Amino acid sequence: MVYLTSWDDFVERSVQLFRTSPEKTRYAMKYRHSEGKLILKVTDDKECLKFKTDQAQDAKKMEKLNNIFFTLMARGPETDITEVTGKEQTESHPSRKGRGRKQ
Amino acid sequence: MVATRNTMMLALEAELVLQPSPLTLTISVPALPRFNERRQATRSSRRFLMVRLQLDPFLNELTSMFEHTTEKGSVWVTLKHSSDKSKVQRNKMTTAGKELEYKCLVRATDGKKNISTLVGTKDHQRFQASYATILKARMTSLKKREKKDKRKAADANKKQEVSKKRSTPAKP
Repeated sequence: MVYLTSWDDFVERSVQLFRTSPEKTRYAMKYRHSEGKLILKVTDDKECLKFKTDQAQDAKKMEKLNNIFFTLMARGPETDITEVTGKEQTESHPSRKGRGRKQ
Repeated sequence: MVATRNTMMLALEAELVLQPSPLTLTISVPALPRFNERRQATRSSRRFLMVRLQLDPFLNELTSMFEHTTEKGSVWVTLKHSSDKSKVQRNKMTTAGKELEYKCLVRATDGKKNISTLVGTKDHQRFQASYATILKARMTSLKKREKKDKRKAADANKKQEVSKKRSTPAKP
């Protein structure tokens, strides 16, 4: 298990990993309130990137990463993300034909 | 002579035929014992049950998971880009020329219960906001940044200095 020390490195590599294998990549988060620990993992079952922290400031950074992943995963790996604050137009997201599942 | 299964079965059958009383078959089938055990243990089988919820009930359940794990336990949340279809279905759809619709599959567990939901393109911003609110409200046991940051920076600087000294050879 590779624990990265740099947050920015973690973000960059995990987005890259997702773009490389969107079908297999998953982003997992584990939070333990009793210990005050937060662990993030991004893996495509071949490569694994992890980040461990007990700092509140990292939770704020994680929020941004969450936004990035929600955008990427809900819209598609081709989506253009500009630091998440402005969700840019999705790049040719395949139009849904027929029945789309509406929540 | 090695007792093969066939001979054993024949022997059993022979026994059954000889008995006058109505037969109650109590021969336990040795095949798949683990499966039977698992079925009987309903409590443990509940852990393998993944409950698919709508967005808002999912968020409510997630909140309650956080509430229940303050003293002990963990909450895991996993995000995945998924079409929610099996490989067979996906292959069928691609060969038929149909477009596959992808959503964001969100799963959560507290070690006991499993819940999941699908977030589509239209809902993801709203979900994202609610999710962020929950996390912000619940992840309160993380340490706040204080002097530690300055100390870390100072240590990092010291380490850099030390490593520079080591890399340069000692004076003759």
